[in-house]
Amino acid sequence: MTAEAAIQQQRRGLAVPRFPPGDLAIWIFILAELLVFALFFAAYAFTRMQHIALFDRYQAMLNRDAALINTLALLTASYFVMRGVVAAREGQGRLCARWTWAAVGMGALFLVVKSSEYAHHLHAGINLSTNTFYMFYLSLTFFHFLHVILGMVILVAVALKAGRGGYTPEEHTGVETGASYWHMVDLVWLVLFPLVYVMK
Amino acid sequence: MSQAFTKAMARNIFYGGSVFFMLLFLALTFDTHTAWPQRDNHENLTEQVAHGKRLWEENNCIGCHTLLGEGAYFAPELGNAFKRLGGADGIKGFIASRPKDGIPGRRSMPQFNFSEDDLNAIAAFLKYVSEMNTASWPPNIQG
Amino acid sequence: MQYKSQAVAKPYFIAAIGLFVGQILFGLIIGMQYVVGDFLFPEIPFNVARMVHTNLLIVWLLFGFMGAAYYLVPEESERELVSPGLAILMFWVFLIAGALTVLGYLLVPYSGLAEMTGNSVLPTMGREFLEQPTITKAGIVVVALAFLYNVGLTILKGRKTVVSLVLLIGLAGLAVLFLFSFYNPDNLAKDKFYWWWVVHLWVEGVWELILGSILAFVLIKTTGVDREVIEKWLYVIIAMTLITGIIGTGHHYYWIGTPDYWQWWGSIFSALEPIPFFMMTVFAFNMVNRRRRNHPNKAAVLWALGTAVMAFLGAGVWGFLHTLAPVNYYTHGSQITAAHGHMAFYGAYVMIVLTMISYAMPMLRGRSAANSEASQVLEMWSFWLMTVSMVFITLFLTGAGILQTYLQRYSSDPLPFMVVQEKISLFYWMREVAGLMFLIGLVVYVASFFVGSRQPEATAVVEGSAA
Repeated sequence: MTAEAAIQQQRRGLAVPRFPPGDLAIWIFILAELLVFALFFAAYAFTRMQHIALFDRYQAMLNRDAALINTLALLTASYFVMRGVVAAREGQGRLCARWTWAAVGMGALFLVVKSSEYAHHLHAGINLSTNTFYMFYLSLTFFHFLHVILGMVILVAVALKAGRGGYTPEEHTGVETGASYWHMVDLVWLVLFPLVYVMK
Repeated sequence: MSQAFTKAMARNIFYGGSVFFMLLFLALTFDTHTAWPQRDNHENLTEQVAHGKRLWEENNCIGCHTLLGEGAYFAPELGNAFKRLGGADGIKGFIASRPKDGIPGRRSMPQFNFSEDDLNAIAAFLKYVSEMNTASWPPNIQG
Repeated sequence: MQYKSQAVAKPYFIAAIGLFVGQILFGLIIGMQYVVGDFLFPEIPFNVARMVHTNLLIVWLLFGFMGAAYYLVPEESERELVSPGLAILMFWVFLIAGALTVLGYLLVPYSGLAEMTGNSVLPTMGREFLEQPTITKAGIVVVALAFLYNVGLTILKGRKTVVSLVLLIGLAGLAVLFLFSFYNPDNLAKDKFYWWWVVHLWVEGVWELILGSILAFVLIKTTGVDREVIEKWLYVIIAMTLITGIIGTGHHYYWIGTPDYWQWWGSIFSALEPIPFFMMTVFAFNMVNRRRRNHPNKAAVLWALGTAVMAFLGAGVWGFLHTLAPVNYYTHGSQITAAHGHMAFYGAYVMIVLTMISYAMPMLRGRSAANSEASQVLEMWSFWLMTVSMVFITLFLTGAGILQTYLQRYSSDPLPFMVVQEKISLFYWMREVAGLMFLIGLVVYVASFFVGSRQPEATAVVEGSAA
């Protein structure tokens, strides 16, 4: 895109698409996080191969319905976040804030559902040292759980700033940065869910 | 528009990331505390063992030996010495019989002139260590 | 030198170099004891000499860090130190306390030292690297607090830069984590667990912040690259350091009575610990390549680049070699650990202190930017002598460690420790020879301060000009 075309597009109220969206620094962070999760997933898969019977037995005891609800919650949140970015691009700060708050709400739903699962495990006396399956299951999901919280903190910061009119069609890198991070959190769950809850 | 890579974002990631992983580390530390009673052999942590640990420290044994793999690499691992030397008598006999001026040309353990009580305490400490759950480390009796 | 109070850095640097010489001499003694077992026995037993070797290292690095901070902070804050007098007072307190402690190690049996200093009141002695008597530890806390007050207040009252803030965070973390050295429960698993909060969270945590900020400072000064760019990368690098390094502590929690999941958590996170070191290498070379001017102090630039490379090799590559739990099961507490420890400490921390000394000392001695050509040539010779020697020390110890691991831990018929030690003594002899080479390098380094001091300053070669 030539510089002139870019300026014209900005005049029409559209930001110039950029790759990757958001701040480059967040992408370094995202890559590092994905690397950690990838190693964890690989370790899970590797260990599962050696203890298939054990993993199958305890996997069957997990609450797959809850996990499905959570998958939908995170996907919906990602959709809301995306609508927030579009709103910011069009200069509608209040609307951006509303979509982002909605995403935070879906994140909260995830936390509630997941916490009820944890409460159930805790009640049954299950912890990281119970067996290899639970070690991986709790490590992976809890590590991801913390990421959902961090993602929500970031989204809240974005929503507050958007509500104050802190973003413009020309400069809304913050929204894209937060959205990129949230999509990473979502993406990780989309691997985690089939791997830990479903895979036979 | 050029690629955004701002110092503010880099700073946020530094602070946010550090706090995030510090909290995670504290959570794992908390869990470690709850898991310890099953593995740390604390039920055998008697007064005598504590005295043995103090002797271990106050004679700087870790300056030559490793204990569970940590320390200096000049002399044998002692985490499993209780088993390797054949129990308390083996340990006490070895320590008590070190020549004062060492063995010519060889690495020598000093003669510490321990009392019988002290020797018993050191043996008790090494017994306690040898019964901790160390995920079956060391790999074999040689340490 | 832009601020008068920066001069307090000079005694700190001189003390650091002096103690460095002592550290290497004791290193040679224990290296000799590895092959001639009764060398200096029973006058200086191995455990005493080793304790002097490691403690001197820690103390001189702390002297170096403090000197670096006293030089760097006024310049970054654009104001004089709050209290140069306090800095000088603390210098003498620290030096005398350090000297008394080392003399205590050498002249009194360790158990006698424990008794003399009242170890039974609050037992903290006799744990690796934390062998100092409890009162010495208390003294370290006092010095650290006075130092933090001095540096912290200067930073807060003056211009706040990323370099000085990161340095302050690193130094404050150093002081806070040191407090765990006072916690010494009877329960060995807990003792070891929190011992690592000092040792690991120092060298693979907050010290890396100090390293990063000193490196950033020297690069800003010598390359003339825009501060914004350098500070941005500093943030990213130290973020990666803490992200990987904090949970990376888990690689010490495999076999000390801690839960098994640390084998996974520790392996995964510590496997990523080389990343920040790699980024640091790329960063340093990038900045030097994008330099806007040629600084006349070529030796300082060489040290800076050397730090980035050797820290990556020693801490990153040699750390990764044995960090995964299934590997560490066999290598834990072997000469592999010693190999890693030597190159990592030299590459990351010795070299960054020498980088700072190399950059600052000419100004502290009245030069405008750099030493004479002759002095710099000698200093660069010492760089190569010491660095190449350290590479060989590391390689020989690695060879020894691989053989030791195989013969004592892995083969179907494991041999006793001492039998194995005799079989691998050739490697120890070669290590000792490399150690002597290192000493020669160090002598050349010290000599570089005295050679060519009357000759004119070196000037920067202007690139592209034929004149």
